[in-house]
Amino acid sequence: MDPAEVEFLAEKEMVKIIPNFSLDKIYLIGGDLGPFNPGLPVEVPVWLALNLKQRQKCRIVPPEWMDTDKLEDIREQERKLDTFTPIPNPYYMELTKLLLNHAADNIPKADEIRTLVKDIWDTRMAKLRLSADSFISQQEAHAQLDNLTLMEINTTRSFLLDSLNYMYKLRSNLQPGRSKDY
Amino acid sequence: MPCERKPMRYGHSEGHTDVCFDDQGKCIVTCGSDGDVRIWESLDDDDPKSINVGEKVYSVALKNGKLVTAVSNNTVQIHTFPDGEPDGILTRFTTNANHVTFNNSGSRVAAGSSDFLVKMVEVADSSQQKTLRGHDAPVLSVALDPSDEFLASSSCDGSVAVWSIESQTQVAQWKVLQKSSDVTNAKSLCRLAWQPRSGKLIAVPVDLTIQLYERNTWTHVSTLSDDLITQVVNVVVWSPCGKFLAAGTVGGNLLIWDVEAKLCIDRQKHEKGFTVCGMAWHPSGGRIAYTDTEGCLGLLEGVSSSSSTVQSSKATAAKEANDYDDLFDEDDDRMLDEDMSDSRSPVKKPIMEDEDDDDDDDLMPATGRPRNRGSFLDDDDNSQDPSSVKLDGLPEEGGSSAVLPAVAPVVSRPVYDGPMPTQPQRAFQPGSTPAHLMHRFMMWNSVGIVRGYNDDQDNAIDVEFHDTAIHHAMHLTNTLGHTMADLSQEAVLLACEGTDELASKIQCLHFSCWDTHKDWMVDLPKGEDVRALCLGQGWAAVATSALMVRLFSIGGVQKEIFSLPGAVVCMAGHGEQLLIAYHRGTGFDGEQALGVQLLQLGRKKRQVIHGEPLPLSRKSYLAWMGFSAEGTPCCVDSEGVVRLLNRTLGNTWTPVCNTRETCKSKSDHYWVVGVHENPQQLRCIPCKGARFPPTLPRPAVAVLPFNMPYCQTTTEKGQMEEQYWRSMLFHNHYGFLSSSGYEIDSESQAQAEKEQQELLMKMFALSCKLEREFRCVELAELMTHSVVTLAIRYASRSRRMALAQRLSELALEKANQLQEEEQEDEEPAYQREYRESNQMNSRQAQQENGCEEEEVEEEEYPQEEQMDAEESTETRKKFLNPFKKGGKSPEKPSPKPVSREGRVNPFKVSGAGKSSGSPAGQPRTTNVLDSMTMSRKPAAFSGLSKQSKAPVLKPLAPKPKSKTQATLLQMSASKGNSKKLEDSQSEAEKVKPAPVAATPPVLKENTENKKPKTGFQLWLEENRKSILADNPDFEEMDVIKEGMGRFRTLSAEERLNWTEKAKGDSDPKKRKREDEDEEKAAEQMESDEASAKKKKPLDSSAKLSAFAFNKE
Repeated sequence: MDPAEVEFLAEKEMVKIIPNFSLDKIYLIGGDLGPFNPGLPVEVPVWLALNLKQRQKCRIVPPEWMDTDKLEDIREQERKLDTFTPIPNPYYMELTKLLLNHAADNIPKADEIRTLVKDIWDTRMAKLRLSADSFISQQEAHAQLDNLTLMEINTTRSFLLDSLNYMYKLRSNLQPGRSKDY
Repeated sequence: MPCERKPMRYGHSEGHTDVCFDDQGKCIVTCGSDGDVRIWESLDDDDPKSINVGEKVYSVALKNGKLVTAVSNNTVQIHTFPDGEPDGILTRFTTNANHVTFNNSGSRVAAGSSDFLVKMVEVADSSQQKTLRGHDAPVLSVALDPSDEFLASSSCDGSVAVWSIESQTQVAQWKVLQKSSDVTNAKSLCRLAWQPRSGKLIAVPVDLTIQLYERNTWTHVSTLSDDLITQVVNVVVWSPCGKFLAAGTVGGNLLIWDVEAKLCIDRQKHEKGFTVCGMAWHPSGGRIAYTDTEGCLGLLEGVSSSSSTVQSSKATAAKEANDYDDLFDEDDDRMLDEDMSDSRSPVKKPIMEDEDDDDDDDLMPATGRPRNRGSFLDDDDNSQDPSSVKLDGLPEEGGSSAVLPAVAPVVSRPVYDGPMPTQPQRAFQPGSTPAHLMHRFMMWNSVGIVRGYNDDQDNAIDVEFHDTAIHHAMHLTNTLGHTMADLSQEAVLLACEGTDELASKIQCLHFSCWDTHKDWMVDLPKGEDVRALCLGQGWAAVATSALMVRLFSIGGVQKEIFSLPGAVVCMAGHGEQLLIAYHRGTGFDGEQALGVQLLQLGRKKRQVIHGEPLPLSRKSYLAWMGFSAEGTPCCVDSEGVVRLLNRTLGNTWTPVCNTRETCKSKSDHYWVVGVHENPQQLRCIPCKGARFPPTLPRPAVAVLPFNMPYCQTTTEKGQMEEQYWRSMLFHNHYGFLSSSGYEIDSESQAQAEKEQQELLMKMFALSCKLEREFRCVELAELMTHSVVTLAIRYASRSRRMALAQRLSELALEKANQLQEEEQEDEEPAYQREYRESNQMNSRQAQQENGCEEEEVEEEEYPQEEQMDAEESTETRKKFLNPFKKGGKSPEKPSPKPVSREGRVNPFKVSGAGKSSGSPAGQPRTTNVLDSMTMSRKPAAFSGLSKQSKAPVLKPLAPKPKSKTQATLLQMSASKGNSKKLEDSQSEAEKVKPAPVAATPPVLKENTENKKPKTGFQLWLEENRKSILADNPDFEEMDVIKEGMGRFRTLSAEERLNWTEKAKGDSDPKKRKREDEDEEKAAEQMESDEASAKKKKPLDSSAKLSAFAFNKE
């Protein structure tokens, strides 16, 4: 899976916007959106929010979790625990990136949030690598990793699966050799 | 003249503190439990000099540049003043000293300690000490006689002792205090004080009073008390002149007496009621510094000025000369002289008029007359009555004191304790934050936001529109200092108050103007300031400090002006309406007395609300006022209660929401920015811990639902009642809008009515279930005609015949009413009763939407045939007469032509249900209920009008065709459309629904030959024989039942086939519904009770299955 595809999925997340135009309900295959009243918050998918934002048709209300205090708490929690902590949004990384890239002016303390999310991401990725490492080195048959987001799984999937395959191949080649030795 | 109490300021950390002035009175010196001595240049000194003298300081004394402190390391230290250099240790105790004090000259220091000792030390030579032993408990306080003869000390052992310094022996002792084990447990600090200069008196705080003892005789001479003192007196200090005595109490009261007059001349209360533990009188006498146990320092200013006049007029001479006889004689005399009751207090006069001839009498503290209740206001007679004068010789005092009457403690504090007038709230712009903020919202309304910035760099106004289609955002420099703003779709109105040089100005940015001059400005006359302003459609209004409202056109033409009965509070405009809130009078006890005016400024100008009182919650003020988006006036008070004007209830205000109920914490508020009636939305900004939002970060609008405070909204009944009345209230605006010539959204109106009628029907069903028949009728009175017929049906189905009967009468009445109305052809005015306009409107709606009401009627058909012919004809005739259309209704062969011809009376359904005595009564009940619920939806909003307009057609109207038919008939009643009718009629016949099957055989036969058979009927005919063969003893009904059962067992295709067969020639469009009907009917026949469940697959009924629960 491409990161772009994951991002595409993330764009289906709902986000609140404050439109500066007036429009009746719009009926889309994915569901009805609106009505849009100027000045009144309305929930729309991220893709629409970004589109409207780019056309300067709305302000985006940052999601509740996109707040320095909350993210700091999560970061601390993430650093404290060995396991993965539950994340407020399954697409936190993608949303942060999308919203901060396109609507940084609507998000207070955008830079801090960017840093915090990056920190969380790095911590989690480090944990992921660590656990992959111990998984392989201990030759476990299975492992359980909770609270991973799609993007995180996606970053490690191809590499981990390929390497496991190779290792399997190498091991299975080793096996007959050994038996011959004996 | 009362002295001025300065605000407290923080001096030390919490704990015991002490205070004194330096010799010149330039500085205040305080000490506290933080171990610091602070030297304050003044109370406002932000950076007092701080000297650390130890861990804790218990007491401080200052004289001749020497600062003596009693510190927690059991020493009494000297520091230089003002430098604060340590200057040696004066003396030591085995525990800490509690109080240190200088003598008059500053040569000696006396200190009392918790080790029961009192020591006297020469400041110059600390080796010269005198120790006074005799107390049996920690010494609380010491005081040195100004003439250096005596020393007084108080102790936790309950005694106050006077020592001769020379001989170091006690010369007097009074056991007047409460005993305690330690200083910390002592109720009072019991700071003693000698009268300065003469040292003639010594003041001892005893419980709630201060007792004065005379030098040399050591007798109790008088007691100072005041009824304000509710807690123990802690500290007493004499004024430098020796004429006044100030006391501080544990309860935080500060009192000042004129000692000779025994008159309390001033009473102050610590602003937080903390214990006063240190007091010092300024050397010049003008002020008193005091400290509390919370470490705060306070100051009373102007103390001597308040007392000097009293002082000057006093003749101190004859005080001991009077005896009781004189005393009472005088009192009597005065009583007669003054011939009045309330100025019995003799002191009053001398205070007011210095040279009063009563002076001599008044100045006798020893007379024991209740003189010391200094009151500048009227005293209460009872307390002043001479009979209340008590001679309370103090037992401790022995004979001498017994001779001297003490002051009666019954003194009422002279205060006005009636309702206090409220500060009238200031004028404000609804939707603005306070003007003193540097960054504020000057206006937030449904159009946009006006923000004002007034900081160092910038004085500017930002105008931003929610809908950028109106206008782009604007940035204006605010050179005039505008403080008020309003914003509409057309213009921005700004105004500033006038200054000395500049007049108050109004500036209007009329951005929608089509010429090139987009703004105009108007100066108000000198001395008149803008207080509130608002914009409407094409006009602007400004209320000024001259109690005037000035109207302008939006282009700047001055228009009407009129006066307001009171100072304006706020104004709001919407369309042609102007809403003004103003002060109607003075509010009391925290309430505001606001009045409200509502004016219509259009072509026909008029006042809608003539200054009626605006209801607010208790002790609240107006926080927001405006119009809903639909134009209904609305106000919000500081308690968060939102009220909406109810135009149909004589312009009353109905509470529709309490925003505080949704707040999470007590300090949270909602800042209302807009009200919408359709959809019902209260737009507001949640503010955490504040009443209004900050400009940054940009607050987000939240939407609150309305919730009227109806009773028992946890129950279904309460909920529905609330919903119903809320719906009624929030759809009032349709009536208003249509009456004032605006376009209205008739679709949503119809929707609303439908919702209301549905709610009524639900309530009806609920009451039915609860067997509240009277209530049912009450509810039915609120219903429209068509819904009443449904209700009748419901009632009859649930076997409430009495109810059905009453309902049918009601329905009749309603129908008659309608007819009359129609004939009168009245214009619906919004003031008229809402239901009526409902009905009118629903008629319009019906013309558009069509009506399927006939479905119901159609299904009722077979039953109606069973009706009592006589009765029904009669009623029918009544109905028939006014309607000529009746004649046009196509004649159809019918078993009872009369009923056919005329309108089949739907109200007779109940009778039918009763009289039918059908063996299949139960299933039929279900049927009709179902049919009702099925047709319920369209019927709810359709209707009544239809019935009234073309009631004759109703029973005959075929269900599927009803739409076209209804429309045709209503629109062209005069046209001969009987042809079409006949067509549809015949179709209707074919589509005869399944309930027919359930009717008794006689009836069935009647109908059979006229009506095409349904699939089931066809099938039944074919299979009747086999059923009969199987069960020869079956009655007709049983046969049908059995048939139903068998028919059900057929596969779907087979059934479909039968159905096809049955109406091979009927309109294909209708087929589906018919199928449904049939199937449904079949199902229902089969299952007696579970009708609700079975209905679910059917779309229409599912929606209305809400009623079904009542059935089961």
